[in-house]
Amino acid sequence: MEFFIFRNMTIERFFSNYKTSFSGYEDISFIDPDAERYIWFYLAPIKTDNKVISAEIRNYIDLLKLTISRIPSSKTFIIFTLSDIYSINTITGANDIKEAVKYYNSTLHELALEHNNIKVLDFENFLSRYSSTELIDWKYYFISQMALNPRLSNPFHDWFKKQVKSIELKRKKCLILDLDNTLWGGILGEDGIEGIQIGGDYPGKAFLMFQKQIEELGKQGVILAVCSKNNIEDVRQAWSLNNSIVLKENHFAALKINWVNKADNIKELAQELNIGLDSMVFLDDNPSERDLIKTVIPEVEVPDFPTQPYMLPEFFKSIAEKYFSIYNLTSEDLSKTKQYKENALRNNVKSTFTDMNDYIRSLEIELSIEEVNNITIVRAAQMTQKTNQFNLTTQRYTDTDLSEMLNDGAKIYTLSVKDKFGESGITGLSICKLNGETVDIDSFLLSCRILGKGIEDAFMNWILNELKLLNFKAVNSKYISTAKNIQVKDFYERFGFEIISESGSIKSYSLNLGDVQINLSDNYKYNYK
Amino acid sequence: MKEKIKEIATEVFEVQVHDDTNQNNCENWDSLRHLNFIIELETEFDVSFEPEEIASMTSLSIVESMIQEKSNNI
Repeated sequence: MEFFIFRNMTIERFFSNYKTSFSGYEDISFIDPDAERYIWFYLAPIKTDNKVISAEIRNYIDLLKLTISRIPSSKTFIIFTLSDIYSINTITGANDIKEAVKYYNSTLHELALEHNNIKVLDFENFLSRYSSTELIDWKYYFISQMALNPRLSNPFHDWFKKQVKSIELKRKKCLILDLDNTLWGGILGEDGIEGIQIGGDYPGKAFLMFQKQIEELGKQGVILAVCSKNNIEDVRQAWSLNNSIVLKENHFAALKINWVNKADNIKELAQELNIGLDSMVFLDDNPSERDLIKTVIPEVEVPDFPTQPYMLPEFFKSIAEKYFSIYNLTSEDLSKTKQYKENALRNNVKSTFTDMNDYIRSLEIELSIEEVNNITIVRAAQMTQKTNQFNLTTQRYTDTDLSEMLNDGAKIYTLSVKDKFGESGITGLSICKLNGETVDIDSFLLSCRILGKGIEDAFMNWILNELKLLNFKAVNSKYISTAKNIQVKDFYERFGFEIISESGSIKSYSLNLGDVQINLSDNYKYNYK
Repeated sequence: MKEKIKEIATEVFEVQVHDDTNQNNCENWDSLRHLNFIIELETEFDVSFEPEEIASMTSLSIVESMIQEKSNNI
């Protein structure tokens, strides 16, 4: 599997061009150890209370930090920046969300500095191509919790592929520059020191900006070198006399200004600078020179050079992002980075939680368990119809079926979950059929929305405890395997159930309630009505 | 139209489909692929289904008559 993806919404479609598996919604409990790489793809929650939204966004960072600590540092972890794709600006607290998003994204960059395996992807870079109405298709949001418009998946595939490629590409180390018509307009040998176009009006203005941009790259640790067919004396004179030239001799780590063919020059540069040819990028306005290098030294990257000076800013952006992007910025690259890092440490970017338990406790989860009633029976039946994954027996019932069971004395428990971010409504169900002193658990199921917080275990323990209090002696249960419920195949074993028989797709269990010690975890508050 | 629908279904469900393929006899026709199927159909035939319709489109024959109906109304 190429990616294991942590997410809080339905986003499978966006990664369908990769071999992936996904976490549950906001579920960080399971981390696939076999994944080659991991992705963190969280979207701002779609809720109505802005205070809650911003609190959740801040909480995501805590989840993320805990997850980072549990992922091997040898594996790439790609983290998407968070964007608020739907918020209403006139509602109080909209600014809180902006602040929370800002906090989230700046923390990502701090984390990336601390952990070399973390690569931050600027998702806004993709989203900004679309208007806010294009970003969400509410129909699909409501029927399947797809917050991003499913129609954006194809452009997303292309975009993401490029991002992955650039993450994996080793950052280039050296930029080799031609001079005439590359760093300035015109030809020094013909137009003279004051005749070349640099600074002043267009096109000199465009070349000036280009030189300044390259100077910035140099400051970020990119090695600059010159490879130009010129007389070195002419160039040195231009450097000393033409004050508009930004990039002077001291900016360059090495010079190859001569009439030797450029392929040989570049090979020599690689030796002199003691770097690989595959870490070099060569810029030259002359197509035949570019062609020579591409043919003779294919390891060197040779981008096409723009034909018009006004195209230079776009060109610079593309090469800077493609070859020198900050994904692989290391602390050695840049003294600024060090300061940033120190700040980050000062701000104490430690994980708020030490472990999963700690995290679960922080959620202040309340489990409300009720016996099914006239109102909740419809939802209960619906859950049996719709729940596939966390469903031990996958028995489908209508509300009439459930009523009949109640008439036969069955106990049907519903579970509602509430935490500090809100309520989930009825998201768990267990049907217990009574048979003298024995109970048969006919169904036990939970919506995947609430998984990953240990709630499934707490709910089961609560039921066993309740049955014990009601003086039942034994519990029988079953696991019936389907294509979708593999994750619960050993669920009952966790509670001390013994396998009585196993045939085909059915495992039957029994538990003697007298023998078991049931511990209700104090990570949760239990309400029973 | 029928062939186009089957072509899309084969691609989305990643299995060979037949005229009588439906949600029950096709294991790969799960809820996630169902939505992907609908999205592809909406794009291909330039129609839009209501959520209630999406829920009812549980077999290729229903899908076909649904699209037929939508196309006739345009």
